[in-house]
Amino acid sequence: MFGRGETMKQFDVLLVDDEERFLETTSRLLARKGYTVSVASGGAEALEILESCSVKIAILDVRMPGIDGIQVLKMIKREYPLVEVMMLTGHVTVDAAVEGLKSGAGDYLMKPVDIDELTLKIDEALEKQALIRQKISLVQPHQH
Amino acid sequence: MKRILGDHRQMIDSFLEERKGDLAFILETVSYEELQDPEVLRHLLNRLQKTSPAFVDLGIFDTRGVHINYQGPYDLTGKIYKNETWFKAVMENGVYISDVFMGFRKIPHFVIAMVKHSPTHTWVIRATIDTLFFNSLVETISMGHTGEAYILNTKGLLQTKPRSGGDLMDPEPADHQLPVFHQGMKLSIKANAAGDDSLVATTWLKNKLWMLVVKQDKADAFRTLNTASLLIVLTTIIGILIIVLVSFYFTARIVQRLEKMDLEKEKLRFQLIHASGLAELGEMATGFAHEINNPLQIIKSEQALIQMNVVELVEKEGIKPSDTLGELDDSLNQIGLQIDRCATITQSILKFGRRNEPASQSLDLKQFIPEIIAIVDKRANLQNIDIQFNTNSRLDLITADPAQLQQVFLNLFNNAIDAVVEKHRPNGGWIQISATNTHKNGVEMTISDNGIGISPENLKKVFTPFFTTKPVGKGTGLGLSVCYGIIKSMGGEMTVFSTNDSGTVFKINLPSDKGNVWERGNDETI
Repeated sequence: MFGRGETMKQFDVLLVDDEERFLETTSRLLARKGYTVSVASGGAEALEILESCSVKIAILDVRMPGIDGIQVLKMIKREYPLVEVMMLTGHVTVDAAVEGLKSGAGDYLMKPVDIDELTLKIDEALEKQALIRQKISLVQPHQH
Repeated sequence: MKRILGDHRQMIDSFLEERKGDLAFILETVSYEELQDPEVLRHLLNRLQKTSPAFVDLGIFDTRGVHINYQGPYDLTGKIYKNETWFKAVMENGVYISDVFMGFRKIPHFVIAMVKHSPTHTWVIRATIDTLFFNSLVETISMGHTGEAYILNTKGLLQTKPRSGGDLMDPEPADHQLPVFHQGMKLSIKANAAGDDSLVATTWLKNKLWMLVVKQDKADAFRTLNTASLLIVLTTIIGILIIVLVSFYFTARIVQRLEKMDLEKEKLRFQLIHASGLAELGEMATGFAHEINNPLQIIKSEQALIQMNVVELVEKEGIKPSDTLGELDDSLNQIGLQIDRCATITQSILKFGRRNEPASQSLDLKQFIPEIIAIVDKRANLQNIDIQFNTNSRLDLITADPAQLQQVFLNLFNNAIDAVVEKHRPNGGWIQISATNTHKNGVEMTISDNGIGISPENLKKVFTPFFTTKPVGKGTGLGLSVCYGIIKSMGGEMTVFSTNDSGTVFKINLPSDKGNVWERGNDETI
């Protein structure tokens, strides 16, 4: 009687970065701001979470050991096209930005990112996603 | 000299032989009886004189030495020569050529005499030879200024007149030694009357009675040789001089060129070090900046969390505002500001070190530069700075990434404004920008200002990353090094000239866009 998504844990934001302390502090900050946050310290872990949980927004560090941000982005877009992805990087290379955006990243953030700026972008993305989900539900009303 | 001597000996010998031959011919063809006839003798003399004008007279003698017939200018018929030396000698030898002697006539002459024996009679024919004529034969030998020739007899008496003086029949003036017979030719060096060395060549004539002497002052003889040697020495000296001068000239030029090349090499080396240094530094800085960004991100997050917690404490725990709380707030804000400052620096470094390919396109600087001037114009106007742009209508297009080039110009314009403001507040400052075609298919842009300038020691470091003269926190020291890197990556050149306290000129050379190159030489300024 329940859709698959409703049985799963729901998160507004999935933070993916290889810096543990960044994950810890940023998730605490976002939680204080009222978002539900999950964290992953690498690409593989992130994909595991996406498998078992419902995630609205994924924030990916571009440079990570193992599967890097761009690869994770491509996988997410292939497997979970509805998930909004934001790239986070210390690099401002135009190439990476262009590739990220081409691969379906919704936005780009540069380290060190301001918490207010981050919440602003998250809100924008959530809004955008809500709109898309709404449109989808209109087209496919019986899915619920 | 030997050749002359040889030639003349032959000439004199043959002359004497011929005269002897003449007489022998007469003796063979004309009988004794016929020779008694003065008419026949006169006829014979005429004939002889025709073949050789040297014959003066002709005489016939009998065995007693009586001059039985004579033809010639003197009246000698009947004179008796029995006791004369020549007569005795001719009777003894058959042929005789005398030395020059005075004889009855009291004038120098010499005679040739011959005996003829027939079954019935024995008689002698004698011819007198004109010494003057004979003289001329020898005297014609002349070489240089001092060359002369003469004949000596066995007693060392002169048989012809030497050119240098001395009379016939006198001993040779310079040399009183008796001539000694020798075979062939003999060369020797003797001191002459004046004390100078003379070159003397001698040879005996066939009759072994006369010696032909050819004589010339050594200096004279060797004059041509000396002149030639002198010429050779002179030519050699001049040649050496020319070679030395030319080699000096070329050496100087080569040295000059080498020095120039050295200078250029040094310049090139400096640029290379500068460029490679910059590249290395850029790479290092990029890595550094990237690594710094991660901890910076954490610090920033921590700062935000602390701030949030402080706000919560105040709101929920009811902590009253106090100096301590104020200080805490101020400190947290300051940490935030400093993190942002660090972030600015790392972003600049990452920009500086970025390795992506620029998005090049054809650019018309005539339009592009005014667009950038427009960006800084407001700021310049506020400071009463006059910005001028000069170019010409036929300016080449260039190939460049507009965003990068804009960054370069903005950086330079802002620097220029800062420099001018520092020196000319509140007015009097100017910035002049020009763009012209270079001769080598390129465009040169200059950005000149009348600002404070750059000191020589700072001028060397303007393109070095992190070098800045601005106060702490005002500049990262990366602007110009980024500009330099951008221009270099476009295949251009960027140079700076500055006079401390009177202004700075930045020159940027960029290659022209292929296919958009104007012909050089008739640019008109607009």
